Amino acid sequence: MIDVLLKIIVFGTVVGGIWGLVASGFSLIFGVSRILNFAHGAAFVCAAYVAILLSGSGFNVYLSILAGLAVSGLLGYLVYLLTRPVRKNEVMVIIVTLALALLIQQILLVNFGDKGISMLPLVQGFVELNNIKVTNMRIASFVLAVASLVSLDLMVSKTRIGKKIIATSQDSEAAMLTGIDVEKVLILVMVLSSILAGFAGILYAQIFAISPETSLKALIYAFAIVILGGLGSLRGSIVSSFIVGYILVLTITFLGARWSEFVMLLAIVTILVVRPTGLFGVEE
Amino acid sequence: MKNIPKLFGFLMILVSAALPVVIPEAYLYLIGLTYLFAILAISWDLMVGYTGQVNLGHTTFVGLGAYVAALLQTPLRMGIAIHPLAAIIIGGLAAALVGFFIGIITLRLRGYYFSLVTAILPLVFMQTVFVWRDVFGGEEGFSIAGYSLVDTTLSKYYFSLALLLISVAAMRWIVKSRIGLRFMAIRDSEELAESIGIDTTKYKVLAFVLSSFFAGIAGAAIVNYRYTVGPELYDVPLMLLIILSAVLGGLGTIYGPLIGAVVIYLAKNWWLRDLIEITSLPVNDEVVLYAVLIAIGILMPHGIFHELRERVGERVKH
Repeated sequence: MIDVLLKIIVFGTVVGGIWGLVASGFSLIFGVSRILNFAHGAAFVCAAYVAILLSGSGFNVYLSILAGLAVSGLLGYLVYLLTRPVRKNEVMVIIVTLALALLIQQILLVNFGDKGISMLPLVQGFVELNNIKVTNMRIASFVLAVASLVSLDLMVSKTRIGKKIIATSQDSEAAMLTGIDVEKVLILVMVLSSILAGFAGILYAQIFAISPETSLKALIYAFAIVILGGLGSLRGSIVSSFIVGYILVLTITFLGARWSEFVMLLAIVTILVVRPTGLFGVEE
Repeated sequence: MKNIPKLFGFLMILVSAALPVVIPEAYLYLIGLTYLFAILAISWDLMVGYTGQVNLGHTTFVGLGAYVAALLQTPLRMGIAIHPLAAIIIGGLAAALVGFFIGIITLRLRGYYFSLVTAILPLVFMQTVFVWRDVFGGEEGFSIAGYSLVDTTLSKYYFSLALLLISVAAMRWIVKSRIGLRFMAIRDSEELAESIGIDTTKYKVLAFVLSSFFAGIAGAAIVNYRYTVGPELYDVPLMLLIILSAVLGGLGTIYGPLIGAVVIYLAKNWWLRDLIEITSLPVNDEVVLYAVLIAIGILMPHGIFHELRERVGERVKH
């Protein structure tokens, strides 16, 4: 019993850290631009594919990872460009980003097939914790994810750029009036968030297998996390990503992976019934 | 001038009723299926184009209607065999009921929540097919051959044409009525609609229930048409095809999505794949359709129907 509990805590924490990277960016983009970026999962998968394919064909691992991050950043910029002309039209923003997400998924499917692929872990070996084997890569990815989340939170709450981001998300017109270049803030947030999602994808691919379908999965978990944490709240999504991580590992351990989407939906519906603004939500 | 659209509509009905005389059966089958697909696009428009709430899970209700009707029709699955027509209606009602519950939970909140939840719905319902494999038949689905409402290609064609005409008439009536005006008031400004005393949640849920009902009916009709039910009726590609048709035709117009659906569905099933094979690019037909959707969404967000009306309107004025 203790073993199972410990296993759930350890694996849930690792998974939570990775999904936290995806959800925090999704939440940040929504906060600043009110755009639900359905293509966020595509950045996750694309970065991983680029890193895997480049490192697999003999390039330096670190350079391959950098290239993957660059591609996800470009994808974020592409989302910015595509949504700019329709930003006032909520319906079209959702449709355009969703279509982009599925477009990328299909291109990956056609060219690389639907088989899951994975990346050789950067660090090898494992430690034993009370008879549970935890690979060093999992520990490393947890540390890296938490480090990124902490620095993102520090950047938003402590720096000048962060103040601009907060100002824009509170009231973009007022922010514009105080001389903030709102467009630059939007670009920064979209590119940075997509790079975070890409980074999560690269970490994920070193622990699990990744396939074009994973982008939808990543998106669903991000939804659950941001709704639990409150749409637009960065700290809320960081905290709730771990809660969702534990729920996920619990589900997979006791019910099987098929049920994960179902449980996520159930969690979302429950939150919406009980507390629609989420744990840390801000009233609109 | 005012009678021209009416005359044109009447002419179109006559032409489609006479089509079986000139068109070979293989094509007739595809055109009949296109009519049923058109109901999906129009019913999506009823929710999204008229109330402005983006439903990303319309296929949930298509699949629900399809599976419910199929299970009730063929005795081979659950030992029940009710009249196909009753099964189709129950399929629609089941879809409407699920729409009602999802609606009252998500539609009292701002639109984002509705979109996020409906985006997940089809994936969840698709999993049910695999989890309860012996009931729903897994990825293969199952067949209702021998227990369908219609059996010859000709009867199938007229069945789907009749269903399309009834659905279009019903939905036209809804959007032209006071209820439809309230839907549009909510779309244009939720705050304003609320301030003049419209219960916005109630009307959003009503629109969603109606939209889900027609989707369920069409889903059930599709099963009766092609005899098979399978998880692809829940799947995302069908959802995107519906969205593309409605956006291409023009949201909030009913007739626009109808035209869009006919164009898109025939293109996808007739010549698009061959065209892509000729170009030998590393893409499939879905990639092309998604790219078209992005382009239309950005360049022509009001759709072809709107552009056409605008152009014709200008010419009349001059």
